[in-house]
This record gives sequence, C-alpha cells and structure tokens, in this order.
Amino acid sequence: MTKPNWLRRAWTWSDARLDLTAAADHLKAKQVPNHRHTFWYYWGGVALFLFLVQVVSGILLLVYYRPGPESYDSVRKIMNEVQFGWLMRSIHAWSANLMVGAVFVHMFSVFFMKAYRQPREFGWWSGLALLGLAMVFGFSGYLLPMDELALCATRVGLALPEIVPGVSQIITVVVRGGADISDATVQRFFVLHVVVLPLIFLPLLAGHLFLVQKHGNALPESEEAKPVEARRSVPFFPHFMMRDLAAWLVVFTVLSSLAALFPWKLGPQGDPLAAAPLGIHPEWYFMSQFTALKLIGMVVPGTLGEIVGIGLFGLGGLLWCLVPFFDPRTPSGAQGRKVTQLGIGVVIFLALLTILGYFLA
Amino acid sequence: MNYPAWDVPVIGSSLVIAIIAIVHVYISHFAVGGGLFLPLLERHALKQGRRDWLAVVQTHSRFFLIVTSIFGAVTGVGIWFAIGLGSAPGTSTLIHYWVFGWGMEWCVFVIELAAAAAYYYLWGRVSDQTHVKIGYLYAISSWLTLLIINGILTFMLTPTDAWLNAIGTPDAAGFLLFWKAFFNPTYLPSLLIRTLICASLAGVWAFWTVSRLDSQVHGDLKRELAAWTRQWLLPSFVILPILVIWYVSNVPPEQRELLLRGVGTAAPGQFTAATRMVMVTALASMATVVAAFLFTDQRNAPDFSVGGAAAIALTAFIAFGTSETVREMLRKPYVVGGYMYSNGVRLRDVEKHNAEGYLTRAPMAYGATPGDIGELMFRGQCLSCHTREGYRAMRGLLAGRNHEGIVNLLQVLHEYRADSPYRSYMPPLVGTPGEIAALATYLEGLTDLGAPAPLPTSSSGGAAPAPAPAPAPDSAVPPAPAASAAVEPAPPAASVAPALPAAPAAPVGAAPTSAVPAAPLPAPAPAASALPAPPTN
Amino acid sequence: MSEPTHGPQEPAVEPVVEPAGEPSRRTAIQAVTVAAGAVYVGALGYPVYRYLGTAADEALKDAAVKEVTLEVADLAPNSALMFKFAGRPALLIRHADETWTALSATCTHLACTVSYEPEKQRIYCACHGGVYDPKTGNNVSGPPPKPLKAYQAVYADGKVVVSRD
Repeated sequence: MTKPNWLRRAWTWSDARLDLTAAADHLKAKQVPNHRHTFWYYWGGVALFLFLVQVVSGILLLVYYRPGPESYDSVRKIMNEVQFGWLMRSIHAWSANLMVGAVFVHMFSVFFMKAYRQPREFGWWSGLALLGLAMVFGFSGYLLPMDELALCATRVGLALPEIVPGVSQIITVVVRGGADISDATVQRFFVLHVVVLPLIFLPLLAGHLFLVQKHGNALPESEEAKPVEARRSVPFFPHFMMRDLAAWLVVFTVLSSLAALFPWKLGPQGDPLAAAPLGIHPEWYFMSQFTALKLIGMVVPGTLGEIVGIGLFGLGGLLWCLVPFFDPRTPSGAQGRKVTQLGIGVVIFLALLTILGYFLA
Repeated sequence: MNYPAWDVPVIGSSLVIAIIAIVHVYISHFAVGGGLFLPLLERHALKQGRRDWLAVVQTHSRFFLIVTSIFGAVTGVGIWFAIGLGSAPGTSTLIHYWVFGWGMEWCVFVIELAAAAAYYYLWGRVSDQTHVKIGYLYAISSWLTLLIINGILTFMLTPTDAWLNAIGTPDAAGFLLFWKAFFNPTYLPSLLIRTLICASLAGVWAFWTVSRLDSQVHGDLKRELAAWTRQWLLPSFVILPILVIWYVSNVPPEQRELLLRGVGTAAPGQFTAATRMVMVTALASMATVVAAFLFTDQRNAPDFSVGGAAAIALTAFIAFGTSETVREMLRKPYVVGGYMYSNGVRLRDVEKHNAEGYLTRAPMAYGATPGDIGELMFRGQCLSCHTREGYRAMRGLLAGRNHEGIVNLLQVLHEYRADSPYRSYMPPLVGTPGEIAALATYLEGLTDLGAPAPLPTSSSGGAAPAPAPAPAPDSAVPPAPAASAAVEPAPPAASVAPALPAAPAAPVGAAPTSAVPAAPLPAPAPAASALPAPPTN
Repeated sequence: MSEPTHGPQEPAVEPVVEPAGEPSRRTAIQAVTVAAGAVYVGALGYPVYRYLGTAADEALKDAAVKEVTLEVADLAPNSALMFKFAGRPALLIRHADETWTALSATCTHLACTVSYEPEKQRIYCACHGGVYDPKTGNNVSGPPPKPLKAYQAVYADGKVVVSRD
C-alpha cells in the first residue's frame, strides 16, 4: 500500500524532530516468542485495555457524579435520568471486575512462566504493586454510589484492619474521617479514587510497560530448554499487534454484553442507622481474605484471630513478592519445580476460599 | 392447567429452554451452512488439483459429522423435552396444527443424516464427482430442514389472520391453511437471514479445523484455507442489516413497539432489554468479522491457534445468541401470536377463566385444598417465565411491596387495560377474584415482607440477573398502594431480564379476548407430557 | 462481496506482505472495512454523545418553559425575588404600589446578573454600573445597549404567574 504523499511528508517532518524512526525500529525489531503458551502473553495487554476503558468511562462518569452528600442522588440520576448513564456506569463497574480478573490471570501466568527471574524482578514487583493499587481502586470506587451495599461493605472492610492495635485511630482520622462512614468518607474516597490513585498508578504503569519493552517477553521453561534455533517468534509489529487488537475486540464484546444485559444495580440509599442487609460480602477479589479471616475467627476467636489472619496473609504476600530471590535459575531446576507446585497450591487455596466464601455468606 | 408445571428452581424452565435452544440452533445453523461449505471447498480443491486441501476437508467433515449429528441431535431432542415440560400447551399447539410439517421435517432429516454419514465414510471409496454430489445432497436436504422449521418458527410470531380465523373450525388443521400459515409474512426475510447466518457460521466453525493444522508443516496451506474460509463471514455481514429491516417491518406493530420503545426510551436512556440485545448483536457481529480478519491475516494465519478460533466462535455465539433471544422476546406476550399467551392461556379462554375459574376444570387441580389454590395459580400462570428466587424472581420483582401493593399489581394484570404498561410483555392474569386473592397471599409469602427479614434488599449477590437499575430506588420504598394502573412503580419494562424463550409473541387484536371468535374447546393434548417442540434440526 | 464460489482469486501461495488479490476486490474489502469501522465507532460514539448531551437536553427543556407560578405571600412590598425562568435568572419585583414587574435578570451589556436596589428604586448591574428602570426594564444609564427583557406578571391569591410569548 503506498502511503499518500502528505502522510509521508508529515512523517518526515515529525521524524526529524521526534526521532520516530528509532521508536518504529524498536517496534519492528521487537519479537514475540511463538509457542504453545503464547496464549498467556495476551493477558497483560487485555488488562491494559480494560484499564483504558476504565479511564474513559470514569471520566465520563465524572461529568455527572457529585461526591459528598449528593453522591447517591447523582448516581441515581446517572442511572435513571441521564441518557445511557446506566451503560456508562455498568461499563465502568464491569470493566473494573474484568480488569482485576485479567491482572490475576496475568500474574499467575507470569508466575508459572517464571518471568520474575533475573532480569525481570522489577517487572514482577511493579506488577504486584499495580495489582494492589487496582484493588484499592476497586475498594474506594465501590463506596462512591453510597447505596446500601456500598455502605455496609465499606464499613465491614474498614472495620477489619481496625482490630490491629493502633490502626483504629489512623483509620478514623485519615481514612474514614469519623467513627462511621459518612459524606466525609465518600468525599475523601473520591479524592483517593480519581486523584491520588491515578497519580501513583500511571507512572508505575508507565514504568511497568517500559520494562516489558526493555526485556521483552519471558520464555516458559519448556521453551528455554530448546536450542535457540528451534525457538520461533513473530514480529511484534504488525503481526502480534493485530492479534492483540483482535483479542481486545473480543474482550470489549464480552464487556459490552455484560454491561448491556446485566446492568450494574443501584440499591436503596445507604442509611448509616439501618441494620446491615443479610449476606453482606465483599467483591470477589477480596473474598478469599474475607473468608480466611472468618475461618480463623472460628478457631481463634476475637481480636487475636483477626490479627493472626491479617498477619498470615501479610506474610504470604511478602513471600509472594520475594519469590525471585528464592527461585533463581539453577542447573537442576529442582527448586523451580517446588516453587511451581507452591504456586499451584496458592491458586487452589485462593480459589477454594473464594468459592467457600459464597457459601458461607 | 392440563399439565403439571415444570418447577426448575433458580434458573426457571424458560432459561433451561433458552440455553438448550440457543446451543442447538448455533449448531444446527452450522450444520446447514457447513453442508454447503464442504462440497464447495471440495470442488474447489479438485478444480485446483490441490490434494493437500482434500485431506483438510476430510478432517473437517469428521469434525462436522460429530458436532452436528451428535450434539445437534442431542440438543434437538433436548428442546422437545424442555418445551414439552416448560410450555406444554404451546407445544401441544405446535404438534396438533403442524403434524404435516413435522412429518416432512423428519423425512428430510433422515436423508440429511444418511447423506452426512455417507459423505464422511465414502471418502476415497467413490469417484470424486460422486463424492461431491453426495455433499450437495447433504447441503440440499439440510437446507430443506431449515426451510420447514423456519415456517413453524415464523408462524409463531406472525400466524396470519387466515389461520387465527379458522381456529376452532374443521379447517384449522387442514392442508390449505397449513400452507397459508407456513408462508406467513415473516417467512421469507427470516429464511434469507437464517441462510446467510448459516454461511457465516460454517466459516466460524471451519476456523476450528484450520486452526488445528500444524503451522510448522502446513504454514502455507493454513494461510490459504484461512483466507478461503474467512470470506464466508462477509456476505451476511454486509447484507444482513438490510434483511433485518425487511423482517422487522413485517413484524406486527405491537411487537415492533418493544424494540422501538427502547430507542425512544421509556425510562431515559434505559433501552428495553430487547433493544439492548440488538445493540450487542451489532457490536458482536462486527467484532466477529474484524477479529477473524485480524487473526487470519496472511501474516498471522500460520500461527492461527485454537484459542483464536475459540475467541471468534465466542463472539459469533454472543451475536447469534442475542439475536435469537430478541426474536423470541419479540413474540411477547404470546407463544403463538394472537392465539395463546406465553403462559399457555388461550386468548379466547380468558373470559371463561374469569367467569368460571382458572382451576375449576383443570385436571392438575382435582383434589386441591383451598390452601393449594394460590400455589397452583402461581405454577399455572407465572412459572413459565418467573421463578420464586433466581431468574426473574418474584422475590426481587415484588421486593418492598406490602399486601395491598401485591393485590393492586395483580389487579392491574387482571384488568389488562389497553394502557397497561405490562400489556406489551405480560399476559393477563385470569381467574376468579377468589383465585386471584389466593395468588396474592401466596406471592406475599415469597417476598421479604412476607418473610421475617425486615429490610427489602437487593443484596445477596449473584443470582437475580437483570432487574435493572430503574426499579430499585423507588420500589424499595413501598410505593403507595396506588389505585390506578398508571401509578404502578417503575414497571420493569425497560429492565425485564434477557431471554424469554418459551414466551412467544404476536399480533395483538385490539381487544384481547373479544377479537377471537368463540369456539369449541381446543383439542387438549392427550396425556403424555413429554411432547416435542420446535427444534430446528 | 466475495462469493465463496469465486475461488480462483486466491491469495498467492507465497507469503506476501501486502494484501493480495485483485485491486477491485481489495478495494471492496477496504470499503467494507472502513464502513464497518465507521459503524462501530458510531455505535460507541452515539451513547457517549447522548450521555453528554443530557445536560443540554435538560437545559433546553428548562428554556422551553413558557410560564411559572411563584409563591409570593412572603414577599414584602418594594422588594424583589430572583427566580429561574427559561433557563436564565429572572427578577420579580413587588413595587410599593402593589404592582408587579417581571424582568430578565441578565444585563444586556455583558450578561452579568443584575439586582434590584429598593432604597434607590433602580435595577443595578454591579459589573459595569448599568442602571435600569425597575418598572419597565428600560436602560436608564451606563453601558447597557437596550432594555431588559420584560415578562407578563399577573397576581392572584398570593401567587404570581409569570409568562412569556
């Protein structure tokens, strides 16, 4: 396809000033390994795409959303009066859930491909930090509509860490702005959700993406075992990018179907004085922790149980972070296999706790 | 109630029917489209002298045979069971008035199956020409099954005045009337639409076989076949929008309203479920075609993986599933337009039920104690679309209503006035005042208010799918037990949940009952309860 | 479009980087692609456009109002009431002689909101010192180029009905 003249001239003009050729050369030179596990390479991109959807739909919601005392009414207006407001909100909420899901898939695929090994440790850590932030995004965004469920779930969510001595004061003063959830809480969760978190998230994401460009895709061990000439790859541009695009299209179709066919609900207005509705439980990505605390509470009741629970989960998270240190490349690979088994154990453990949570709720 | 009601907890019988039926038609359209795909591909390969292509055609024909004859047949029988149980009166109508159609269907189906088997088992045992001819035989016979079933399906939406007027006369099951109802106003557009969809799905499913070729060995072959296959997606993509406009313009205005009201918006921006599904259909079909072209572009075709084929099949399934669901929803509030409501009540029986009682002569209610009346009413008139707790749950839909609220709602459904907001998608509630009061008491027991828990809540996650946003805020506060129909709280109009497979739709006479000629009792179906239904095959 | 039976024009066997096929078919495919892209973008853009447009829709609806009824029982003589009419601020003055005047409160100079000054018996615009007559809305002094727009105000039973053409 010959490019029209003006396009070429525009390119030359910009190239002289921005050195676009270097960037283009990098993209053209970049290769994506092609093997039977290539499927898992899509998930980081899918998470990124869903994040972009969140940004766009979030900005649109900001056009009508008002934090503070009017929060519930403004969301009610978005749902019932603003044209397609229900769709925007549903897209935002569904893509949040799908994004956290995609990040989990991405994380575990990185784990099992052992893509945290040298030189990709910082990629692993920045990814974990992004996941953590995404969950805080989810937690803070959940309160913003201030319906019954949001209020109660947030109340429970904040009450859990309060058990730890000394934390209660901090949460009351800094996080909640009072002894109970109130308009003040919504206001600061709003600030957190649309100002503070994006300020931290975006540079971190940029760094994460930079590292991916720098180091390229990691190979699973089965591929690494092959001689270099037996490995195959495709250029990132345009080959893999086209496939990435197709995957995004499919994901967007799934997302819009969910949003259109199962619009996100808005419950009755949250009343701080009313009793909590039955079966209150957190979003699915907090469910495993929630269930674990419940179960430990049955064995070790009271404050101690919660502290033990939070401590155990904290320790687990720390170990998960440090996995690059105790799973380096070794000639025998025995250590690596153990870590893989551990990972499978973690997946099963979290999945079981999550499912169990829905039965206990 | 001539039959027991099939009580499927949580998901409800209508969703069971929907799931089986959508899977079935997804496969059966592939069976029809693939019937043309295989011999055309074979002929093309022979002309080009490409023996290597033939090996792929053979592989695909085995996949094709397995999928269509096993899964197609199993789900087809499944539909008959499901609709026979979930919507017995409707199924009975389809059987009694369409015996001739089912007979023809069975004959061509036998030919189709035999041809499919012969096509696969005679690879290399007959001459190339003969083999291609067997393929064409299959193609023709499978298209004939579509041709027949399409008549029955479109009849349910637009049964024609001739048929409606003849019901209850000896002509009703006659040969001439059969063909009049068969070639009803939506027959032709529907047939063309389905034929095009068949071609697209043939391509979608053929990607599966293509993707499984080993790129190390067959890189070029994969590229060529992918290019040949993906063009099957294009015709329907380009022509369908026009055909759909034709089809919709032949749908009775009352049903079309269901789509258009979404566009005009009942609650602002809150499209009806049907309209929302149409949007999803459009987005998903575009995504299917574009994703197919990106995945199988010349550069990527050698690496085209099973995952890619599955992704394309998924978007195609979303597009197809939503479009089938909309078509079913369009028939609301009927199973057979203008003749029978979605809960099996015949239009002309409404007056009689109101005067003499819905359960008075119902075989399923013999020996019922007064305490059973409410539940029997619920089973007979609600259960075909609703569940107690789950899909379109009474618990959710009635949340926050006190006893007066429920009584008033039932009164609105019973009066069924011309301006009732429920008219466009729900049947009237029939029965004597006593029966309706019993139903109200029964329903009250299903709600939160009836049960001990104080707060109506939409909380416990999960199940209840669509009761969309609208009703929530207002209806949570018990709405004033308004006297008039108009004041009823946000009728879930905009938000009625997705599929309503069992529920039909059709042309509404101006007044529901009186328009239909009084007539002798419709021949009630005999005992057997597992009756066939409208499967395509 | 490409009929399945048009087999002969298959893409060439050797891997080619450019889309192969005859020009006419390639053009057709490109046209379809562009059309599909346009429809897709439209399908996404329409909801967004309508979403953002709701505020304007509401404003238009407000602006279309021809008549409002104001509770004036509490309004003392020689004082004024600000209200929103036709999407803009408006001014209802109860004069000491029990006559009523309803005026647009948007200064005809540079669209500031004007106010009634009972002690000076004038309507004053603080932005640039424009002065209007409180009975008629005529521009008396300062920069305003023309009178304030006047509405009809009819009093009955503690209520004033303000209307416009």
